[in-house]
Amino acid sequence: MPITLTMPRLSDTMEAGTVIKWNVKEGDKVRSGDVLADIETDKATMEMQCFDDGTIAKILVDAGKQVKVGTTIAVIAGKNEDVKSVAANAGGGGASGSASPAAAPAKPAAEQAPHALDSARAASSAHDEEHLDDGGGRRLRVSPVARRMAEEQGIDLAAIRGSGPAGRIIKRDILAIGGALAGSAGENLAGAQTAANIPTATALALPKQASGSVAGSPVAALAPLTSRSVALSGMRQTIARRLVESKTSIPHYQVTMKFAMDELLGLRKKVNDSLEAFGVKLSVNDFLVRACALAMAKHPYFNASFAGESIAIHGEVNVGIAISLPEDRGGGLVVGVIRNADQKSLRQISADAKYLAEKARTKGLSMEEMNAATFTISNLGMFGVEHFTAIINPPNSAILACGAAIEQPVVRNHQIAVGWEMQATLSLDHRVIDGAMAAEYLSTLKKLIESPAALMV
Amino acid sequence: MSSASQASDLASFLAPTARPVKRKDIPVATLKQWLRDMMLIREFEIRCMQAYQDKKIGGFCHVYIGQEAVAVGCVAAIEPKDPLVTAYRDHGHALARGMAPKYCMAEMFGRIGGCAKGKGGSMHMFDRANNLFGGHGIVGAQTPLGAGLAFATKYEDEVINRGKSNRVTLCFLGDGALNQGALHEAMNLAGLMDLPVIFIVENNGYSMGTAIERGTTRADRIISKAAGYGIEGVEMYGMDVVQVYDAMKDLADRCRATSRPAFVDMRTYRYKGHSMSDPRKYRTREEEEQYEAHDPIGRLEKQLRSTNQLTDAEFESMGDAIREEVRECVAWADASPVPGIEELYHDVYVERWGPYTGTSLPSMLREMQ
Amino acid sequence: MTTIISQRDLPMTTLEAVPLTGPVPPSSPAREIEFRDAVREAMSEEMRRDARVFLLGEEVAQYNGAYKVSRGMLEEFGPRRIIDTPISESGFAGLAIGAAMLGLRPIVEFMSWSFSLVAADPILNNAPKMLYMSGGQFGCPIVFRGNDGAGGQLGSTHSWCVEGLYSNVPGLKMAIPSNPYDAKGLMKAAIRDDDPVFFLESERLLAFKGHVPETEYTIPFGKAAIRRVGSDVTIVSWGRPVHFALEAAEALAKEGISCEVIDGRTIRPMDWETVFASVRRTNACVVVDQSWSFGSPGSEVAAQVSLHCFDDLDHPVVRVHSDDVPAPYAFNLEQEMLPNARKICQAVRTVTYNA
Repeated sequence: MPITLTMPRLSDTMEAGTVIKWNVKEGDKVRSGDVLADIETDKATMEMQCFDDGTIAKILVDAGKQVKVGTTIAVIAGKNEDVKSVAANAGGGGASGSASPAAAPAKPAAEQAPHALDSARAASSAHDEEHLDDGGGRRLRVSPVARRMAEEQGIDLAAIRGSGPAGRIIKRDILAIGGALAGSAGENLAGAQTAANIPTATALALPKQASGSVAGSPVAALAPLTSRSVALSGMRQTIARRLVESKTSIPHYQVTMKFAMDELLGLRKKVNDSLEAFGVKLSVNDFLVRACALAMAKHPYFNASFAGESIAIHGEVNVGIAISLPEDRGGGLVVGVIRNADQKSLRQISADAKYLAEKARTKGLSMEEMNAATFTISNLGMFGVEHFTAIINPPNSAILACGAAIEQPVVRNHQIAVGWEMQATLSLDHRVIDGAMAAEYLSTLKKLIESPAALMV
Repeated sequence: MSSASQASDLASFLAPTARPVKRKDIPVATLKQWLRDMMLIREFEIRCMQAYQDKKIGGFCHVYIGQEAVAVGCVAAIEPKDPLVTAYRDHGHALARGMAPKYCMAEMFGRIGGCAKGKGGSMHMFDRANNLFGGHGIVGAQTPLGAGLAFATKYEDEVINRGKSNRVTLCFLGDGALNQGALHEAMNLAGLMDLPVIFIVENNGYSMGTAIERGTTRADRIISKAAGYGIEGVEMYGMDVVQVYDAMKDLADRCRATSRPAFVDMRTYRYKGHSMSDPRKYRTREEEEQYEAHDPIGRLEKQLRSTNQLTDAEFESMGDAIREEVRECVAWADASPVPGIEELYHDVYVERWGPYTGTSLPSMLREMQ
Repeated sequence: MTTIISQRDLPMTTLEAVPLTGPVPPSSPAREIEFRDAVREAMSEEMRRDARVFLLGEEVAQYNGAYKVSRGMLEEFGPRRIIDTPISESGFAGLAIGAAMLGLRPIVEFMSWSFSLVAADPILNNAPKMLYMSGGQFGCPIVFRGNDGAGGQLGSTHSWCVEGLYSNVPGLKMAIPSNPYDAKGLMKAAIRDDDPVFFLESERLLAFKGHVPETEYTIPFGKAAIRRVGSDVTIVSWGRPVHFALEAAEALAKEGISCEVIDGRTIRPMDWETVFASVRRTNACVVVDQSWSFGSPGSEVAAQVSLHCFDDLDHPVVRVHSDDVPAPYAFNLEQEMLPNARKICQAVRTVTYNA
């Protein structure tokens, strides 16, 4: 049987996808694990992986074309199949975009071949019958984890109608009532990380829409909110303590400035296009880190700490970047440190930042990787935030809160034009830095950002 | 094939293997030492039987009485560096090899002072310091191990140390093991790979209760089995320690020098049953008495006395000393504590993981260090 | 008796999936080799390192190995260390055990583990018990290795999954690698181990390729690998069935069921901590084991999970095994007998109430 490749569902809300680029052409041999194409979803560009060995017999959807999820986009000839005849039978394919359920990813064999004697089924039904024969009296059948969760949330099991076999109350039933739970760490893992070689793997692991009762589905969303208390994680305790200390003991004030981002964005695109093959992808934030770090030479007080009797001006520029942690790692945020950022190239900064973010979100950072920041940048631009202020990360004297670069009407050369602008706000420790100093620092920053060529050298 | 039982006919079973001793210059002190060694084994085994009946010893217990000349003579013919491995009737080999009797007795008592901390029992005597690689409980199982020990000494001497193979392994087995496949695979491998191992069949005429000719073809000439594997076979008279030594010394020296295997049909007789629970209904009291007349201890004693090398007083005091030694060894074993429950999880793995707690040497070896 | 540290109160540890094709080194170009080459590299490297190590078995030397695992080793190490034996498993297994007692470090190749049954006495009665019976005096540092499980239509006598028989025995260790990277790292660890190791390869995996660094590494026994991170069910497996489990996980992802796949790598010792921690997150467990179900390693996992994760389970543990019949010859029957992806999918749907 030839293997049919269909447009995969690569995000929870993806209805259709665009083949951005085919990495293979007709006649190419492919192996399970190969990345066949880059697919643009409604959210991102993802890799489409091959799950079989064979030869690409026919590509049915050209790069640039959008088709519905489930549409056949290519056909692979299996190991011993004739590539030409497979290609001939492949048909016109998915241009029509008519994704019928039949064309959806191959069904698990089980549905195709019913088996009377399956060990898994047999085990399950034998167990169930045991309970069914349990006499006339109403006896609660509850799975152990459901019982534990109900206890933790004070839910009365007697009031629940179980959805499992023989009315067994199962985890799903408790979730439907209680919503997401603090007590069971696994509940928040829906967006679990995926295996390194299967980028599309568990990102797909969504609640089943069909059954309609798993957390995240409409039913769960409509369930009434319940009052409950969530214990503070160690990190949450640290955040609480340190930021209260910072906000109450440091005389904060804020200074905001707008930056024209057109040139920087243009430069970034050029650089990224030319370095794509090397896996380099600079972010706006990487430029900001570099700009802030370079500005320190002229403004040493921004790279300083208030030390009671004196002001300690630091000999190296270590820029901290705030990294938010995913829910399944308990949420919260950490500050990763790019050391000697003034002496690093954009490419190095970018690599450092990627490494820190990835590590923070998977393994967690070491003390070494979080220590000794002399200045911090917090960036919510990727969420579309225009403007916000941040709390100083002690013992720093300043923190820069960056919003998104937004395309908007701007005045350039006395003309109203369409341009990209970003707002950034410094929060400052008045014991170290005065308002005019802040303004000067932002001006230096503005020059660097608006004439970004200097950042490249 | 003879229809009469081989073992019941002393004249045809034992006598033809008797040979004149070549070596006339064995020092008297050595002869007396062998006498003492054999007497120690016998006294030890007698006290074993007693302790078994007192329920101090559990499980299976196979005593060596009657066969003492074999272990003592064979061990005398090799060097301490030569490996030795045997089957389950192994107390005699352990003592002959040099294990202090108290460790052997404590092992049977299931005490921490035993050579294997009470975890091996009667059938599994091990002594690393004396190159005794066990007592093995499964009939014939030790024969591939014997080939392997010879392989290893040769590999160490030749492949690792780039010298000449200069050790010989003694692998003891009973005549019952003649019918086990393992022995035949081991002999084939030993012949094929030129392994310096001597398979010594302690042929006492019975595999448990089955007389040899009821279970084994060519029972009258079992060295023909070795011939099938291109291995030299020698019949020996196992009731005379001097003859055993004399013949074994020649053979061991030859195997050591040529790095070839050999096979010995060592004719002997066990006076007692296969194990402590054996009523010996398969043979007559007359038969036993007939063989007891050839007793290896009485034989050497008589030889020494007849040449005035052993006085009555000397023999008596030798016996007293041995009885005292064994009495002390029984008392020591009885005083040794039972192994702590933690020992249950000891020595399963060298490494420590899960419920297993690693390994440690028995006190026998620790005390020597 | 195993002491288990409760994971529920600990912070969530790193979850990182290691692909079957091996971890890719960040800088140097990745090198892909076959499973059989990985095993050979491990043996050759250890033989260069330690003169006490040697390989013996049927056809390992002049024939270059029935499955070409030992290809070229005779040329490098010569006939004293790469040793052809007659077809005499009981004899040469016992011989190797004797050699190990004296201090050598033999690697014994069984052309197939199915043939080890005639060597059951030495490999079960001697090797794993020597240390215990001798009260710690004589260990048995030996590796037995060979093909285990269904090959391709080999019929009943040649398709044994001996893990079902042998893992029952205390005193031995058992590694069942699923990929080349693990095969090399585990084999090197096995050869250096002071205890007897049963190393189970699969004929079906010998040509499977993966990244194997040339730099020195070993993989400790008792450390499982998470092959795929997921949230709805924990699939525990080892050896070839890990491939089936990943295939099933892929199919199930399309149904919205997120599977965590744990590759035990060694089943004696088994990495219980990793298994339990995963089940405590997913609340469901499927065990995939290619041996027969009755008294199998799979039933041990099910029992341990039921014992240690009782309050975390939403459904009884379900096991997927080879069917309880002798291995058939016919291709379709053999495929059906194995713990294939279809059966795994069905079991997962059952434990997640999606059946």
